[in-house]
Amino acid sequence: MNRFCLLAVSLVPMLGATRTLTEGATIGLCAVVMGSMHQLLLAPLRPRLASWAYALASLLLLAALACCLQMALLAWSLPLALALGFYPALLCLQCLACDLLLPDQQRWRVLAVHLGAVFASCLLLGASRQWLANFADLHLASLAPGALLLLGLLLALYNRLRPGSAHPRRQGKL
Amino acid sequence: MKRLAHDVGLLLLTGVLAVSATFAWRHWTGPAITSAEKQLQSRQRLAVLPEGSFDNQPLDNPLPRPAAQRPNSHILAAYRATLAGKPSAIILVTQTQGYAGPIVLSVAIATDGRLIGSQVVEQQESPGLGARVGDPQLHWLGQFENRQLNDHWALKRDHGDFDQLAGATVTSRAVIAALQEALSYFDEQRSVLLENATHE
Repeated sequence: MNRFCLLAVSLVPMLGATRTLTEGATIGLCAVVMGSMHQLLLAPLRPRLASWAYALASLLLLAALACCLQMALLAWSLPLALALGFYPALLCLQCLACDLLLPDQQRWRVLAVHLGAVFASCLLLGASRQWLANFADLHLASLAPGALLLLGLLLALYNRLRPGSAHPRRQGKL
Repeated sequence: MKRLAHDVGLLLLTGVLAVSATFAWRHWTGPAITSAEKQLQSRQRLAVLPEGSFDNQPLDNPLPRPAAQRPNSHILAAYRATLAGKPSAIILVTQTQGYAGPIVLSVAIATDGRLIGSQVVEQQESPGLGARVGDPQLHWLGQFENRQLNDHWALKRDHGDFDQLAGATVTSRAVIAALQEALSYFDEQRSVLLENATHE
């Protein structure tokens, strides 16, 4: 068990809410907005608060952000908000894990890379699931277990195609 | 002690700001949410009617629902669509028990008792099986268009006229029963549903 296992919680919205390209793009965008807003708002508090107060402030901000995000989705794309269900709210867990795992040095760069990767994975998953379900008639792709299999396949493909030897972390070791 | 007071004060400030920002956001998006909900509801319920077949706002004037309910389904609402003051269709919103939960359907019935079309408003059926009942690509509900009460309202395996949704017999039977009951409800309440239309 290591602390990077916390990142597994970001799989929940990524697998649950990427049935189509639109859903994937929306949940990816929500993840980027939530993650960056959370870090932005926490940045001035970090040096000023003790750790217990910092954790509480982080939770408070996340609750407010999640509420605002849900209301924005309801107001401007109601059918999509209904299709996404409670997954946008689950992005809070991802933000909490992120805040815990981000290093002190190069914090913003690592955050940007992470959010970019999340957004790209959501887009890729959404596009491939929609394509597989609609054109290849592979019905499993539209269900969550199919999404997990597909994500595994995509990661394996990424490791295979990426030049240079894979970092141990990408081989599933830590 | 001073450090603790400082932390608590800052935390309180954060909390107050977060809560007030949320309330301000809610106040600001409230009207947009209400209008989006209204729009979605009217789209879900009125999409069964062809474009241009009515010129009133049917959802603004729900019809009184007579108490006579069907055994397997429950009529939630009835609306009258009119064209140039004459009734052109009745929209019944009916709820039936599916495999995993209630299914709410919007059913449009022409004044001669013919089913114009039907659409799923709400369902919680199994993804990939019963949930395909409203799938626009599959267009399973399309086979009921222009059918009347005296057709054989049952699946082909039950010696009826209709194909079933693959792997979702319970859902298929529930929807067929609900549509048939909506037609029989219309047949029985025809005078109540169509009367007074000219006085509006």
